Amino acid sequence: MNQRLLDMGLGLLKPTLGFVLLILFWQIGAPIARIPAYVLPLPSDIAARFVETFDVQVQGLLMTGFTTLAGLAIALVFGVLLALLVIYIPFIRSIIMPLLAAFNSIPKIAIAPLFVIWFGLGYESKVLLAFLLALFPVFVNSLTGLGEIDADLIDLSTLAGGSQWRIFLKVRLMNAVPYITDALKVAFPLALVGSIVGEFIGGNDGIGHLILSGQFDLDTPLVFASLLSITIFTTLGIGSIALFERMALKWRPSQRKR
Amino acid sequence: MSVLVENVSKSFGSMLAVEDVSFSIADNSFVSIVGPSGCGKSTLLRMAAGLVRPSRGRVVTRGKAVDRPVRGVGMVFQTPVLLPWRTTLGNILFVAEMGGEKVARHRDRARELMTLAGLAGFENAYPHELSGGMQQRASICRAMLLKPPLILMDEPFGALDVITREKMGFALQTLWDESRNTVLFVTHSVTEAVLLSDTVIVMTPRPGRIRDIIAIDLPRPRRTETLRDPRFLELSARVREGIESQWAE
Repeated sequence: MNQRLLDMGLGLLKPTLGFVLLILFWQIGAPIARIPAYVLPLPSDIAARFVETFDVQVQGLLMTGFTTLAGLAIALVFGVLLALLVIYIPFIRSIIMPLLAAFNSIPKIAIAPLFVIWFGLGYESKVLLAFLLALFPVFVNSLTGLGEIDADLIDLSTLAGGSQWRIFLKVRLMNAVPYITDALKVAFPLALVGSIVGEFIGGNDGIGHLILSGQFDLDTPLVFASLLSITIFTTLGIGSIALFERMALKWRPSQRKR
Repeated sequence: MSVLVENVSKSFGSMLAVEDVSFSIADNSFVSIVGPSGCGKSTLLRMAAGLVRPSRGRVVTRGKAVDRPVRGVGMVFQTPVLLPWRTTLGNILFVAEMGGEKVARHRDRARELMTLAGLAGFENAYPHELSGGMQQRASICRAMLLKPPLILMDEPFGALDVITREKMGFALQTLWDESRNTVLFVTHSVTEAVLLSDTVIVMTPRPGRIRDIIAIDLPRPRRTETLRDPRFLELSARVREGIESQWAE
């Protein structure tokens, strides 16, 4: 038991060690190299600014978090539905696929200003941008996970008396789960990019806005403190997806304990 | 009569896969179709299940002319096609779930089959934790779970190594002996066909035609000694003749 605790402690210590060393190097090295604080503030200054602006950070994060997660959720529903449509109605595949391919070749960030014109400076344009960025990975992985099923398995299920619906639920959907969680790990940071770019372009809320105001006032510690907020948010997001995988996808060979 | 195949032909585009094939399978008998690749034996199997429609002729399975997938037919493929996210027991019970049955009512039988197949103790193992032979045995248990009146096996041991393959033949005999379902078994191994079957149908390729139908009168159960029995060798030689006869043509 003690040995296990020790192992766990070591397991946590090793990844932390890198951060500690980097911060120490930064804290001690920056004054020696005479880097001005407005270019690269010290970690201690950033931490202090983070504590000072904690309320604002939380408020900004709530907004950015909301638009990111809303965009991601809509992308999840839409991506899966779109994949289903393409799989079950082959006719639609030939219509939708070229459209999607063409659309995906436009950098979504470049059309962000258009969304501000259409939907204003509120959260709607941010959600839409987050959604668009997250949609593709979800769609592509759903297409693989729901569509690439061994034909023999479908035959076997049909002969066993499985209805289309039951086969969908117990074979296709279950097969797609790991593909979709993988997609979410990519789509989550993308949705966050969408939200923050949206906040850069217009509006007066969210972490993106906070970063911009830090830049405007040459308050570099504030910019860094805001980056810290985002990092915490991303880590929590990706962490919960990984946690879900570890609990629900025990059967995956890659989830086995080594 | 479990399966009746009458003057069946099947072409895919301009390629004639099966030409004018007729045979019947009695209830509770084990029938093998042997032949080289390309003789349309898998196609015949799929037609018996209603997964493929014949171009000409008709297939009657369990008293009904087949025009769609026949519900309740058991199926074993060359690969185990197990669901990786289900345990071995969960995979065997899968067919009960698909058929909309109460899964709990079949759990005991699933465990019995697993014991017969030498899988006791692996109920909660995931497919990737089993060897290839064990996976295939699990897929045979799955096919037998609901005691289907007809089980179709499409080269079930084709992907296994030779030693495992021989052992699997005997394992299958043990499982089959328990319920004596009608089995239509496709293989290109003469030994396997003669060892397991009541009747062997020999087919020749391109297009697939029946060359010979041989009754196997070896006593059951068959054991490893059967493989050295003169009658076994005689019957195997006759099956081989049927296959080799086309080489001269």
